[in-house]
Amino acid sequence: MTDPAPHAARFHAGLGAGLALALALAWAWLAAATAGGTEVRERKDALAAVHALSIKVEAAGADESAAAAAVTAWQKAQPERTVARVVLVNGARLVASTDPADTGDAAAPRRLRLDEKDLFDRAKRLRGIAEENKQEVEKTPEEDVTRREDGVWQVAIPIHQGGSVVGAVDVARPAARPAAVAGAAPGTGARALAALLALALPLLAFAPARRLRGTWAPAAVAVGLFAVGFGSYAAWAARATGGAAEGASPLSASAVLGLALLALVGSGLAARGFHALWRNRVAYAYTLPAMVGMVILVFFPFFYGIVISFTGQTIFNVNQPLSDIWVGFTHYKDILGDVAILKRAGDGSLALNYGNFYWTLVFTIVWTVTNVTIGVSVGLVLALALNVKGLALRPIYRVLLILPWAMPNYITALIWKGMFHRQFGVVNYALMLMGLEPISWFDQPFTSFLTALATNGWLSFPFMMVVSLGALQSIPADLYEAARVDGATRWQQFRSITLPSLKPALVPAIILSVVWTFNMFNIIFLVTAGEPGGATEILITQAYKYAFQQYRYGYAAAYSTVIFALLLVYGVFQNRVTHATEGI
Amino acid sequence: MVLVTLYPLLWVLTISFSGGQSLALAALPPQPTKLDLLRAVIPWPQALSAENYVSVFRDQPFARWLLNSIVISAATTVLGVFLACTAAYAFSRFRFPGRRTGMMSFLVSQMFPGTLMLIPLYIIIVQWLGLGSSRLGLVLVYATTAIPFCVWMLKGYFDTIPKELEEAAVMEGAGPARIFWTVVLPLARPAIAITALFSFMTAWNEFIVAATFMDKEDMYTAPVGLRFFVGGFSQSWGYFAAGSVVVSIPVVFLFLYLQKYLVSGLTAGSVKG
Repeated sequence: MTDPAPHAARFHAGLGAGLALALALAWAWLAAATAGGTEVRERKDALAAVHALSIKVEAAGADESAAAAAVTAWQKAQPERTVARVVLVNGARLVASTDPADTGDAAAPRRLRLDEKDLFDRAKRLRGIAEENKQEVEKTPEEDVTRREDGVWQVAIPIHQGGSVVGAVDVARPAARPAAVAGAAPGTGARALAALLALALPLLAFAPARRLRGTWAPAAVAVGLFAVGFGSYAAWAARATGGAAEGASPLSASAVLGLALLALVGSGLAARGFHALWRNRVAYAYTLPAMVGMVILVFFPFFYGIVISFTGQTIFNVNQPLSDIWVGFTHYKDILGDVAILKRAGDGSLALNYGNFYWTLVFTIVWTVTNVTIGVSVGLVLALALNVKGLALRPIYRVLLILPWAMPNYITALIWKGMFHRQFGVVNYALMLMGLEPISWFDQPFTSFLTALATNGWLSFPFMMVVSLGALQSIPADLYEAARVDGATRWQQFRSITLPSLKPALVPAIILSVVWTFNMFNIIFLVTAGEPGGATEILITQAYKYAFQQYRYGYAAAYSTVIFALLLVYGVFQNRVTHATEGI
Repeated sequence: MVLVTLYPLLWVLTISFSGGQSLALAALPPQPTKLDLLRAVIPWPQALSAENYVSVFRDQPFARWLLNSIVISAATTVLGVFLACTAAYAFSRFRFPGRRTGMMSFLVSQMFPGTLMLIPLYIIIVQWLGLGSSRLGLVLVYATTAIPFCVWMLKGYFDTIPKELEEAAVMEGAGPARIFWTVVLPLARPAIAITALFSFMTAWNEFIVAATFMDKEDMYTAPVGLRFFVGGFSQSWGYFAAGSVVVSIPVVFLFLYLQKYLVSGLTAGSVKG
């Protein structure tokens, strides 16, 4: 414990062992997976080629020489050593053949020899399948595909003539490309990913391992994580290359191995953990109720939300298992990849696409910046006005000016919506009183934005005012006196005394109000409701609309996750500025 | 400026006392003169009447909504503050593995955007647990979302209570539970009261979760009910105004009393978002 060196050595040894094991496993599984993938591709290739031939032969109809010509022509486009034969069941005839042995006496067309019975049997079997398929709902594929030991594909496909099967095209075809080249299928991208995983996992293992000094646990955890990680990766690679069935067994092997390792370590850790738990049992007992609540109703929903952002969940399929409706990054691609803010309207003119993510993002930023600017400037001016010495009735003014903040903001929003009413709203009456035309506030994006801005400005300035006022009153008066003695003008006093003194109070307040405004759901939702046509939607109301008006839970969750990412970036930045979380 | 600030408030007061449902302050003749228009922007009712206040309780289910709000907010406060007190005490007094992680996770949880939480919460509470349109569902959601803020507020206060007091109690032979209940909690009474009032106010003013979870009209909370008066095809501005005044008055006074704690709590280190 006192000497960290042995622990570090053991940790690195474990890490090294984990890396070696992981690389070996990954190599083996990748090989298995790619082999599986290659086979699938070759099979598809061969089948497609033979289908092409069968169509030509069917087109030739009863004309046997035409069929033979089609076979010869087809042969030229195929890999070397391909052998094609056309067999008719009726009369057991070999209509055409490109087998080098079938020349001279044995040249097609002729009757099948006894040693060619397997050709005849395959054709008959295919005819049987075709007959059965006429009755069955579930069709059996009308094909006979095997892969010979030497890597040659043996494919037989029936020839239809007048609604029934008359024979078969029987082809022995080597794979189009040498297996060595095909084996490289996962490509450099997948390999780079494997390398990245190999780098990322030790880091992951390192985070919990740092605390468990003096045991082999970290090493074993590292190994276990590698095994699990690469097992999943191998399974993914296998699926990606199409060899799902072949990839499954290494996957289960890896999962079992990894889980066993983790369980081994886990039992050791559990003992240690239990010890720590027992020693701090009082503290844990006190935090437990709150923690349980938070985990169930805050943290779990949060991660569950991120999980459903990868699914196509809607109100209609909430009870389906998530793996059935998994869509991967599709939503994120749709949201972030759609950069067409401008789109062509029906009449060909360019119009803004208000549903676009980037439009909403820009609008949200404009909304936040203008609101915070207004809030700060109005609040600061009022604070300066209230701070004038000897102001009569100052406490009363202060209370009256705080009222907008004290009002529940949904009520404020509905009040302002009423005041901006087109026909009966007082704002339009006031405009008419001044001899102006009344305005349909919610018909234009800009005027609609103004209504929300007025509402939010009204309810947000008191916070800034209170903060600034508090800071102003804590500035010692003798600072100003000293400045006056030095002959500073009022503006100079404001610049070099007032503003710097306000800064420590205003910066956190501004940071806070940026997040508030960014997430100011009620005002937008209740005042403009996004009118007209979603132009004044901010990110958070847009996400709500996707979720609870269109019921696209998965898409809305992805949208919200993007918002969270934006806020996270902002939070990191704000933490840098304020160092708020230091010294816990 | 004071007038601009007060105008919307006077407006809603005027409509609440107008006795009608119109949102115009005064009825205009077909060809309004300047004087008519001036009358229509002055926030004073044409006929003073308390009819809206009587009617909103008598003819509308507003009393029921108010009761829902009171029950939900009170339950939220009790549950949230109790959970927060114990957790904050542990965070303040004990040093244990996971303490820092726990506090940070509480802080980070405040950054989760509402809608990201709303979708999974809706699925969990309404579709899995079947607690849609139930008070319990809302109480659970409100209490857990209030915990982080309460924990941070209370932890800050617990830190200021001298440890010597508890050490003295230990000397007298008191166990941890006894110390918590008889020494720490009574000392922290002011902070607990303020925290409780804040969580009450937050639950009282909450709109969007309630609007999403409460489908049945008789389970609406007051905010959802007020929106119901003037949303969609309903234009009962008189009911809305009277209801708003009733709902706002307690919280406005509460807020005026509490705002000095709020400002110092928010700006002194908290990064609540």
